[in-house]
Amino acid sequence: MTLWRLIKRSLGFYWRTNLGVLLAVAVSTAVLTGALVVGDSVRHSLMKMVDARLGATQLALVSQNRFFQADLADELSDELKTPAAPVLQLRGLIANSDDTALANKVEVIGVDERFFEIGAQPGVEPFWRDWREGVVLNEPLAERLRVGPGDEVKLRIEKPGLMPREVPLTPDSDLSFFSRPIVRAVARESQFGRFSLQANQVAPLNVFVPIRWLQENLDQTGQANVILLTGGKTGELTADRANTAVRKRWRLADSGLEIRELTDQGVLEMRSRRIFIDRVLSGPAIKAGDGAVGILTYFVNELCVAGKTTPYSTVAAMTPGGKSLVPAEMQDNEILITQWLADDLGAKVGDTLELTYSVVGPMRKLEDRKNGFEVRAILDMNTPGLDRELMPEFPGLADVNNCRDWEPGIAVDLDKIQDEDEAYWDGYRGTPKAIVTLEAGRRMWANRYGDATAVRYPKGGVSAETVAAKLLGEIDPATVGLFFQPVRQRGTKAGGESAYFGWLFLGLSFFLIVAAVVLTGLLFVFGVEGRSEQVGMLLALGFSPGLVRRLLLVEGGLVALFGSIAGTAAALLYTKIMILVLSAVTTGSTTYFHAKPLTLIAGAFSAVVISLFAIWLTLRRQVSRTARELLAGVAQRQFVAAGLLSRGRVGLVVAALATAGALILPLLVGSEKSGAMAGAFFGAGALLLTAAIAFTGSLLKIIAGSWKRPMLSLAGLGLRNSTRRRGRSLAVVALLACGVFLVVAVGAFRHDPLEHAEKRDSGTGGFTLFGESAIGILHDLNSDEGRRKMLLDPNMLDGVEIVQLRVRDGDDASCFNLNRAQTPRLLGVRSAEMLSRGSFSFAATKVGAEAETAWDMLNDCEGEDIIPAVGDNATITWALGKSLGDDIEYSGEKGRKFKVRLVGMLENSILQGSLLIAEEQFVKRFPSEDGYRMLLIDAPQEKVDAVAAHLSERLTDFGLAVSSAKQRLAAFSQVENTYVSIFQILGGLGLVLGSIGLGLVVLRNMLERRNELAMLRAVGFNKAALKRMVFYEHSGLMLAGLACGVIAALTAVAPALKAPGAASHGGYLSLALTVAAIALSGVLWIWIATTAALSGKMLDALRSE
Amino acid sequence: MLELVDVAKNYESPGAKEGLCVLKDITFKLEEGESIAVVGPSGSGKSTLLNIIGGLDRPSAGRVLFEDRDLAEMDDAELAHLRNQDIGFVFQLHHLLAQCTVLENVLVPTLVDKDRASKKDVYQRAVDMLGRVGLSEHLLHRPGELSGGQRQRVAVVRALINRPGLLLADEPTGSLDEDSSQNIADLLVELNRSEQVALIVVTHSLSLAERIGPVLELREGMLTERSRA
Repeated sequence: MTLWRLIKRSLGFYWRTNLGVLLAVAVSTAVLTGALVVGDSVRHSLMKMVDARLGATQLALVSQNRFFQADLADELSDELKTPAAPVLQLRGLIANSDDTALANKVEVIGVDERFFEIGAQPGVEPFWRDWREGVVLNEPLAERLRVGPGDEVKLRIEKPGLMPREVPLTPDSDLSFFSRPIVRAVARESQFGRFSLQANQVAPLNVFVPIRWLQENLDQTGQANVILLTGGKTGELTADRANTAVRKRWRLADSGLEIRELTDQGVLEMRSRRIFIDRVLSGPAIKAGDGAVGILTYFVNELCVAGKTTPYSTVAAMTPGGKSLVPAEMQDNEILITQWLADDLGAKVGDTLELTYSVVGPMRKLEDRKNGFEVRAILDMNTPGLDRELMPEFPGLADVNNCRDWEPGIAVDLDKIQDEDEAYWDGYRGTPKAIVTLEAGRRMWANRYGDATAVRYPKGGVSAETVAAKLLGEIDPATVGLFFQPVRQRGTKAGGESAYFGWLFLGLSFFLIVAAVVLTGLLFVFGVEGRSEQVGMLLALGFSPGLVRRLLLVEGGLVALFGSIAGTAAALLYTKIMILVLSAVTTGSTTYFHAKPLTLIAGAFSAVVISLFAIWLTLRRQVSRTARELLAGVAQRQFVAAGLLSRGRVGLVVAALATAGALILPLLVGSEKSGAMAGAFFGAGALLLTAAIAFTGSLLKIIAGSWKRPMLSLAGLGLRNSTRRRGRSLAVVALLACGVFLVVAVGAFRHDPLEHAEKRDSGTGGFTLFGESAIGILHDLNSDEGRRKMLLDPNMLDGVEIVQLRVRDGDDASCFNLNRAQTPRLLGVRSAEMLSRGSFSFAATKVGAEAETAWDMLNDCEGEDIIPAVGDNATITWALGKSLGDDIEYSGEKGRKFKVRLVGMLENSILQGSLLIAEEQFVKRFPSEDGYRMLLIDAPQEKVDAVAAHLSERLTDFGLAVSSAKQRLAAFSQVENTYVSIFQILGGLGLVLGSIGLGLVVLRNMLERRNELAMLRAVGFNKAALKRMVFYEHSGLMLAGLACGVIAALTAVAPALKAPGAASHGGYLSLALTVAAIALSGVLWIWIATTAALSGKMLDALRSE
Repeated sequence: MLELVDVAKNYESPGAKEGLCVLKDITFKLEEGESIAVVGPSGSGKSTLLNIIGGLDRPSAGRVLFEDRDLAEMDDAELAHLRNQDIGFVFQLHHLLAQCTVLENVLVPTLVDKDRASKKDVYQRAVDMLGRVGLSEHLLHRPGELSGGQRQRVAVVRALINRPGLLLADEPTGSLDEDSSQNIADLLVELNRSEQVALIVVTHSLSLAERIGPVLELREGMLTERSRA
């Protein structure tokens, strides 16, 4: 005989009790471990997705709307001795051949074999070999379009202009390129089909095309806007090292600049492919050679002297002095005019010339401005330096043969053009008719894209190579968008820092775990109580209490161990179910089941430890009794002892203090509508729950202590009996109360997104439709002119208001993205527009801001390179893991880093996933982001569908997808509501366990008091009467638990119930039904247990006594 | 071997200021191999006295000396060791482990001392003793398969397995029929002699008490020698 043998004997003999404990431990293990495995699976999937979307890419240079020479990739590959791939990536839209399936936002990715060699897994079919034409779709896109290899598709690609689209003098036509290519292949994930530089687990929609084909068709020969770099064999390439390599190997052409020799003029001239030369480049360019002349040429509407006008002319601005046409001493209010202009206007030196020109404002709104100059001199048409090359290659001007074909991007009144103007065009083309100082020119025509159109260097003074070398040495390529970002590191960080779903699901399963643990403790203690005389005997035989405790603990531990093993197996099933739920919530993403052995062990171990703790707690009390008490069975039969009444007062004091705390807490926080208030009420609810449970505990003690007063009814007897095992009774009350509290309280946070969704302060902002386009819309869709230019029907859009937002693509920071977004998508918004509409409401704002004028915060100055931003509550709190006042670092288009500071938090809204900054700041940081790609549309209810259809149809070429704002909001709310549902389902299961616990308590109580019940039968009570007594006793406990939980929960959720979109009447009904179901379940278990306990020949029990 | 000096025991009672006095000034000695019986009416404190002697309860006053060691000076671990090695208990209810066989039940007290539990002679002693009490055929039976008398015999053997100097029996025949009671009485007397174990039996049964040895009577908390009728 050994102690081990004794334990084994006990395990086998008391198998029923042990099985109960085992099952309870299995439940807690399954839920606990399952939650952790869900966390592992999500994180593993995110990490796997980093590999899938980046392949071997470590770093990426993404210049987006700026283009550089694709050869730079070769240079860098050579310099860094690592594979590099140039990519030309643009936005587009695609449809199948019969237009029955459409994808509005697709990435059109021009690549060659180097791209796939970086990203495709070894051994996959190399469809990219000998690939000259046709497109390759990734799997999700092919599925959406229902096409395969050999099928024709309709592809429209955003066509980057020579100039940014919002530059003055840029035509707003020819915005896209259309083709009908054949699908050559469908790229699987293993073939790099999932390529994306954004940390989002939702699969992108990619169209791969041969880079050369794309370059040729978009007039971007030899250009790229992305370079992917692998880390070589070691994978240790840093962004700093790569950027150093860029500085070493980049060429002038990579910044869009070129130097050409103008033989006739005897100069070298630097120009930009983007027409305007960036400020960061123009300054150093002018300094790069002695006698360099900076030039800014513009197309003006009118030149006027004394009422005589010359329409549509080019005017140049030049650096004064040297070989410039502008003499050094010329003032900024002076102008040189050509002889032709002097003749045309009859102007002479000293006359005042009024110059009228147009500048382009937001939404391509043209604004005519005038400026007066004094004629300083008249230049001969043959003056050296006065030539047609001074006019840059303005699209729509430089390539047309006569004035009537002009399309300069501003309104041209052809009636104003006279024969002499045509003759000038024929003879001199774009030769400026007038010259001003560069400073004067910049004041009029400099814009966010640049402040010069050319720089001329006197020939012989400096060579093109010297100028290029000087510029390249002086300019940081990052300022023109040529800098690498550690995309892999960022992706890994996004996955690694993502919300650990293990904790989320642990939180969701919390009550179920607690219920299972309490059940474990209850079952175990019942088992031990049944063996209390054994324990007493062992103590009497000389076993120390510690040894007896260890014996029982080992016994319980073994049961827990087996339970945890069974639970671990169940955990795998639990995980798979949860992954299915997650996949349903985050549509388009894949979560791979991934169970780390260590997690399984840790989960099982934790469950064993928790169960052992529960067992130890129950044992501690049981074994602390003396052998004498245990042997005499006193422990089971003892009723209240003296002194308990006074101890009941402690509970009353606790209850009073907790109630006082519950009343004070909301008052301390104040009456402002904020998250703090909701928190205060939740805290008050929790305090009330504590108070109610403490009060119930005291009440049980007080009733137990009032034994001197006779109890004259069955109900009274039941009530007295409920005080007999106060620990058990209170455990049942507390378990039910906590469960009801959590289920009801959390249930109240379920949003009904459609409730009041038409209001402007709701999550829709009062907008009925939400639109996103692939190509930026340049015009104001609220103006007649804008609507006309976009071919929109003014009658259809009568009464429709459209708020247009600029978009800088970034990580999706919505609840659909499981990654921790690093640089969320930015939206440029005109705050005044939102403010005047009163759209959306703020959940919280920075200190000092008024909720009514909170949108104004976007215009506040937070500091140099710090931009205030507003985001959706879910975006800031969950997707970013930030709070108000936190900063997020971004890199501007020109490489300059800046911080976005979170100053306001919107209530649950359709803007989830992005951060909003002032349009002015947006344009400053991302000048090349053309147009508006997000539309918030407020259409009258009666024609919402018609407006949606009209906009979608007319703006098809922009890839506009219009959806219901309510549906968008509902989709976001659905995620939150699904989590609430999971919590409620798991909490409900916990309550079922709680009800089973109640049944077990009933059964146990009845079995312990079987003889007493038999005695009552002997003195004449019938079974029905005894059942009633038992029912009164235990239903009283159940009702106490429900009441405690419901009162506390209603207090906790008071603010949530008042909030817009809170649970509707249907929601209240649902909560009431939940409570009713719990009550019904409790009654059922009481009935089952009572019937089981009172069955059989009870009088036999008395006889055996 | 055992000496009680002015032992008293009071219990607190709800509503009573001075408490309930169960034992008063109990003084007596018991030498090795001696046996006595204690009789008295229900509630007279017989079991309390036995519990105090066995270290299961502590006196309110007085001293209990076992082999000149004062039980009051022992901590719980020492008392447990004393009960395991030097004192054997037999209760009215046998309190056998339902999950263990007869042989295993007998060996349970030896589990406290790991060395002893592993020794073959302990096992053999258990088998022998069970043979002596007529249970050779039931070594592998469970308690539920035995009669009341058989169970009590197992309990007696269990009490003696560690060769204690003192055997305390609290109403050992209280739940047995007459024949079984007779058998247990015979067994206790026989073991007292053969094992040289001192014996204190608390009982209602005068016939049993008289077979054990000198009879002491506990009445109103006082222990007096009962005069023969």
